[in-house]
Amino acid sequence: MNKETDAGDSRPDPAVNGASADVAATAAIAARRIEKEAFQEGWRASASTIPAVAAWGVVSGMAMVKSGMTLWQSLAMTLTVYAGSAQFAVLPLLAAHTPLIVIFLTAMIVNLRFVIFSAAVAPHFAHLPWYRRVWYGYFNGDISMGFFPRRFPAHTVHQPAGKIGFFEAICYPGWFAWQIGAIVGILLASQIPESWNIGFAGTLALIAITIPMIINGAALAGVVVSGAVAVAAISLPYRLGLLLAVVIGMAAAMMADKFIDKEKE
Amino acid sequence: MNAFDVWVSIVLLVVSTLITRSGFFLFGHAVKLPPKLQHALGYAPAAAMAAIILPDLVTTGGAIDINWTNPKLLAGIGGGVFFLITRHLLGTIVAGMALFTVLRLAL
Repeated sequence: MNKETDAGDSRPDPAVNGASADVAATAAIAARRIEKEAFQEGWRASASTIPAVAAWGVVSGMAMVKSGMTLWQSLAMTLTVYAGSAQFAVLPLLAAHTPLIVIFLTAMIVNLRFVIFSAAVAPHFAHLPWYRRVWYGYFNGDISMGFFPRRFPAHTVHQPAGKIGFFEAICYPGWFAWQIGAIVGILLASQIPESWNIGFAGTLALIAITIPMIINGAALAGVVVSGAVAVAAISLPYRLGLLLAVVIGMAAAMMADKFIDKEKE
Repeated sequence: MNAFDVWVSIVLLVVSTLITRSGFFLFGHAVKLPPKLQHALGYAPAAAMAAIILPDLVTTGGAIDINWTNPKLLAGIGGGVFFLITRHLLGTIVAGMALFTVLRLAL
């Protein structure tokens, strides 16, 4: 399955070096210590994000219940989906009886950034068996993307030491914080009157996530065009306006890119 | 929305999470996205977000409402400005909800 060899591995490999059991045992202890230290380093780097992740989890929990989902549906969604912005995006569609295919496509589009993220992170874990790659991929969200490539740039791809420890530290605590927040939100939601419109907090969260994505003039053009098309096409059935808006918005961004490049020349 | 559709939607969302997040971890060595496609895909998430956010801001009860009396529109703009200045996610949610509540009661 895995042809990747750890050519640049800095730590001794007990499987190759197995002349003496002692050597292997010492190497295993050293390897464990490296991962443990990396875990502590990752925790120190990312701990400050935990309160925001938990609070955002609370908002997601409330938004799920307020959109009409039951307690068990909300719990199942948060514990398995674990993709906040896709959940926020899909909730109004669920409430509006949107066809399942549009719901799926919407989630795919909102999650597309993870494809870009995982293209950057996945090569660092290519030496692991497939089930562990799926497992780590599942946790590779916005927070891990903010920390992992900074600590392990692309040129460290063949040096696995410390990566699993670091990655677990920037992922697992965030998962727990998010889930605890979401469960609190799910349980509290019924105490909050409808008129407070708590679901609007989800839209505000999306605004705050979107602004940093507007990295250049072309992205801005894409956002403006997409938003305008979505509003203009609001009466199209099945929320097709959303998909139309994304496609036209992407095209606008690419055209703006070409235009900006020409200006530079 | 009936319960069955909600459960199917949850399964579809899990599938979406797995495809987008774990797909490259599984098949990354076999697939090489063309740079141009990668480039275009980079703009998709922001465009999708805008296409979700704006229709929510400019409607009240499903009807278009682009007015200074629409609390969601004003609070959304306020929240965006707040984020641009502070770069703080949680603060933006709190400030935006506070502004929304004040406007909802005042307008």
